[in-house]
Parts: sequence; C-alpha cells; structure tokens
Amino acid sequence: MRKLVLGLATILLVAAACAQESSTVAGPSGTGSPTGDPCAVENLNLLSAGQLTIATGNPAYKPWYGGDSVPGSEWKAKSFSGDPHSGQGYEGAFAYALAQEMGFTDDQVQWIGIPFVKSFAPGPKDFDFAMQQISITAKRSQAVDFSEGYFDVNQALIANEGSPAIGVTTLAGLKDIKLGAPIGTTSLQVIQDEVQPNVEPQVYDDLDLALKDLTSGQIDGVVVDFPTAFYGYADVVVGQFPNLGGEQEQFGLAFEKGSPLVTCVNQAIDALRSNGTLDQLKSQWLETDASVPVFS
Amino acid sequence: MSGGGGSGNASFPAGQPGLDPRVPGGRRNSRILGATQGRSVWVAVASTVIFFSVAAILTVNSPGWPAVRQSFFDGTEFRESLPQIVSKFGRNVFIFCVAEALVLVFALLIAVMRSLPGSVFAPLRLLAAAYTDFFRGVPTILVIALLGFGMPALRLQNLPDSDMFWAIVALTLVYTAYVAEVYRAGIDSIHPSQVAAARSLGLGPGQALRYVVLPQAVRRVIPPLLNDFIGLQKDSALVAFLGVTEGLRQAQIIQANDFNFTPYVSLALVYVVITIPQARFVDWLIARDRRKRLAVGS
Repeated sequence: MRKLVLGLATILLVAAACAQESSTVAGPSGTGSPTGDPCAVENLNLLSAGQLTIATGNPAYKPWYGGDSVPGSEWKAKSFSGDPHSGQGYEGAFAYALAQEMGFTDDQVQWIGIPFVKSFAPGPKDFDFAMQQISITAKRSQAVDFSEGYFDVNQALIANEGSPAIGVTTLAGLKDIKLGAPIGTTSLQVIQDEVQPNVEPQVYDDLDLALKDLTSGQIDGVVVDFPTAFYGYADVVVGQFPNLGGEQEQFGLAFEKGSPLVTCVNQAIDALRSNGTLDQLKSQWLETDASVPVFS
Repeated sequence: MSGGGGSGNASFPAGQPGLDPRVPGGRRNSRILGATQGRSVWVAVASTVIFFSVAAILTVNSPGWPAVRQSFFDGTEFRESLPQIVSKFGRNVFIFCVAEALVLVFALLIAVMRSLPGSVFAPLRLLAAAYTDFFRGVPTILVIALLGFGMPALRLQNLPDSDMFWAIVALTLVYTAYVAEVYRAGIDSIHPSQVAAARSLGLGPGQALRYVVLPQAVRRVIPPLLNDFIGLQKDSALVAFLGVTEGLRQAQIIQANDFNFTPYVSLALVYVVITIPQARFVDWLIARDRRKRLAVGS
C-alpha cells in the first residue's frame, strides 16, 4: 500500500515537473506597438530587441562570405572561408545591406554560427533568420517560412585535372562517373534526378570533406552551386546543370514558422532588388561568367 | 487495495521460497514488471498506464507539439523514408558483420598477448597494453575520419581506397581494444589453480591456455561480448562521416532535403528492431548461465 502511494506520488511529481517545463516554453508573442510603421526597428518582433540576429554556417565559405576575422569573432577566416562580421562576400554584404535597408546600424547585426540542421529544427530559434544558401522548396516550406528568393542559383560540376568527368557535355555521359556533393544541398538532388548515376554518389557533411575526397581521387567530381564552382576549389568547371524540374532555383532566408518578420524582410529585399543593390552585389562578389556549357 | 494488511511486501512473502524470483525453478514471472501476485500485477499495469498516459497527454498538449509532430512524426515522410533507409541499412549490416568477425579474432590475440606470463614477453604485453589504451581512448569517429580521409590521400599503390574498407578497419581497431579487455577479464577470472592442475597433468603452458583457460573464459564473457557488439552495430552509423550512404546518411539526406526529422525516427526504429532481439538473447544467456551455476551449487 505504502509502495503504491509512493509510486503514484512519484508519477505525479514527474508529471508536474514536465508540465512546469512545458509552460515556460510559451512562444515569443510580443505585441508590437500599434502606432507607426510596423517595420520600424522598434516595432519588429526580434529575438533580442534592437538587434538583428542572423545565423549562418561556420566555417562560412567563400564566395558567399569573405574578409578577415574580426577580433573576438568565432569565425576564423582561412583561404576558403571568411568571417560574416567583415560584411564581405555576397551573403555577408547582402546581410548588412538588408539590415541597413530595414533601419539597423551595422553594430546592431549579430551573427551566430549554426550547423545546417538548426536552421530548420522545430522549436524556438536562437536567431531571427538563417542566411546559408538555403534553396527554397515546397517541401521545406512546411517546416520553415522562407523570404522571397534573393539569389537565382544553378548547380555546376567541378573536377580536377585527370578526372574522367572533364570533357563530358551530356548528363548521360556523367552516369558512370563517381560524383560527390555536400549533404542538404540541391547538388545531390541534381545528381540523383538529372544524372541518375549508375555509380552511387558520395554524400559529405560539408564541402570541405567533399573536396578532401576530390583531391585524394576518391571521387571524380563534386557538384556545387555555380558561384562556388568558380571559386578555385578545383581545377576545372566542367559544366552546369539545367534547372531541376525546369524551375529556377532560388536561395531564401529561413525563418521560424509563422515569424512576423518575414513581411518586413521581404519589403527590404524588394527594395534592394529594385534599386539595383542585389545586381551590384552579384557582380561585385560572384563570378558571373555564363560561358560554361549546360549539360544536355 | 484494502486488506493488504501486514504483508506490505507483496513480491516476496516470507516463508514461501518457491515464489522468490531469484531462486531458479521458482514460479515463472515477468522480471520487468517485478510482480508475482495478482494484485501486484494490477498495480504494475495501472501505474504503467497512468505514467505513460500522463506523459503522452503532456507531450501532445505542449505548445510545440504540432511543430514536433510535423517534423518528427510525419506519416507520409515515414512511409517514404523507411524503405530507402532499410535498403541502405544493408551496408551497416555488412560493415558490422565483417568487423565483428575480425574483432573476435584480433581481440583474442591481444588479450592472450596481454595475459602471457614470463618476463620474456614483456614487450608483447607492453604493446598490447599500449594498443588498448590508445584505441579505447580515441573517439571512434576520429579513428574513422583519420583513416578514412587520411589513408586514401596517401595514394599508395595496393592500398585499398574504398571508404567501406577503411570504415571496417577503423571499427575493428577500436572494438578490438574494448573486446580484448572483455576477453582479458574472462581469462583473469579463471582461477590459477586450474592452470596448475592442467600443468600437473602434463599440459604445456600453451596447451593449458588453449584447452583449459580459454574455453571457460570465452564462455563466461559471451554476454558482455554481445553487449560490445550492439555498441559496434550502432557505431556503424559513424561511417556516414566518410561519405558512404548507409542508413544514417540516407536518413540525413531525406531530412535535409525535406527539412523533416521523421527519417531519424524511421532509422531509430530499424536499430531498435535489430538490437532488441540481441539484448533479449543476452538476457537469456545470462539467465541460463545463472541457472546452470546455481544448479551446480545446490
């Protein structure tokens, strides 16, 4: 009898503990001031008031990020990676242009390094949005809210001298070539859906590891996004891939589902597009050489 | 519940040794529920049901549940991911089967090396100790990464550069260290008088080891051996790091494409399905062993 009472008491205690925990996880549903511009910095529903917290990967690869490490930053710039705080590279510069357009000063932009999964894991986010070359897809939109696209992207194949991939011009010609791609990228989908290879592609945690195996000859080519292909990660840009399913692939910013920030960020992206900033950033930071043949 | 009275401890009523679950031949009972009598079974069932109902209700009513359900328990995602993951899981099975076979042999060698008597064998003992110290100390994923990315980069002729090959080598190296210690514990548990007896019968030191010590030692360590093998099976997922599309990597691919974690749940299910029968098998072995020893003792 005593045992029974003790047991029930334990269960209730555990239950109470759980209930307490879940009640503290109420969503951040602050109400912005009803007066004035809803997109003014003071009216935005931000992670920390007056600061725009942006998440991206660490390392932050060129040409999307660049520049030298800012003292105290957790990003260590190397030959192929930069520091988002420097405001260099396409996304680095875009982040500060976007923040400025929304009314933030450069000091109000905070960066946080996350693994890719954290950009879409459910639950409270420790950032306002993720800017990490994330391709917008319908399926992904079930888990996060995307901003509108800020960059149109294609996929390309890079290889080193001596690779059997060099000289190939058709998708069919790639079928028997051992390709690799970083995980979570459209690059892998391109290999699977467009090439439909006979040799199983290798899938890596990040670009770095894929390039390691490319250098050691374990794979014959790596599929990356077009601007990355030109960044000297390998000897040759073999060719670019047609759009998956005929739809232009775009990078978007990823927000927590239902984030009220999306509209205001979209406004700012629109403004940057119409005043030519996006084009200017593109020509400043990315190789736009379109003479690379498209695989047929 | 009334009339429970003085016999508060329902499980082991005094004076009825036949009902003690610790005694072999006692009434067959469920060890998980820990109950032998009708009332205790009901209490066990009721508290289990209450506990899990409360836990389930709290989970389902938590503010983040809709998002969690969408991300982790999506039916369509589950149905689509499971067959893909299962088909790639064949690679894990291949990896751990080959590694387990190799580990069984090499670990025994290391253990015997470490148990060799006599000062002549000091270097061998030292080598074996250094080996186990090193490979038990380095995280498995590092061994896999160092061998998997490092060895092919040497571009040596005749050296295989397959990721699967190096993954198997790495897992074998690490688990040989663990299992060697298990074997050694088994060898040490055989009383020295047995060796003395064997020697007095005219067996050489090698023969005493081969025919007297090892057969008993190995039988004794089978349960902990299987335990390590379950660990090895789970660690076969670390091979994903090298770019091999095995179960985990396939789950990650779907997860990253769809921004959905359900494939992880599918994979967890696959692991549970293969490891639970083994765990039960170990339980059964331990129980059988205990029965045997107790039977001899009585």
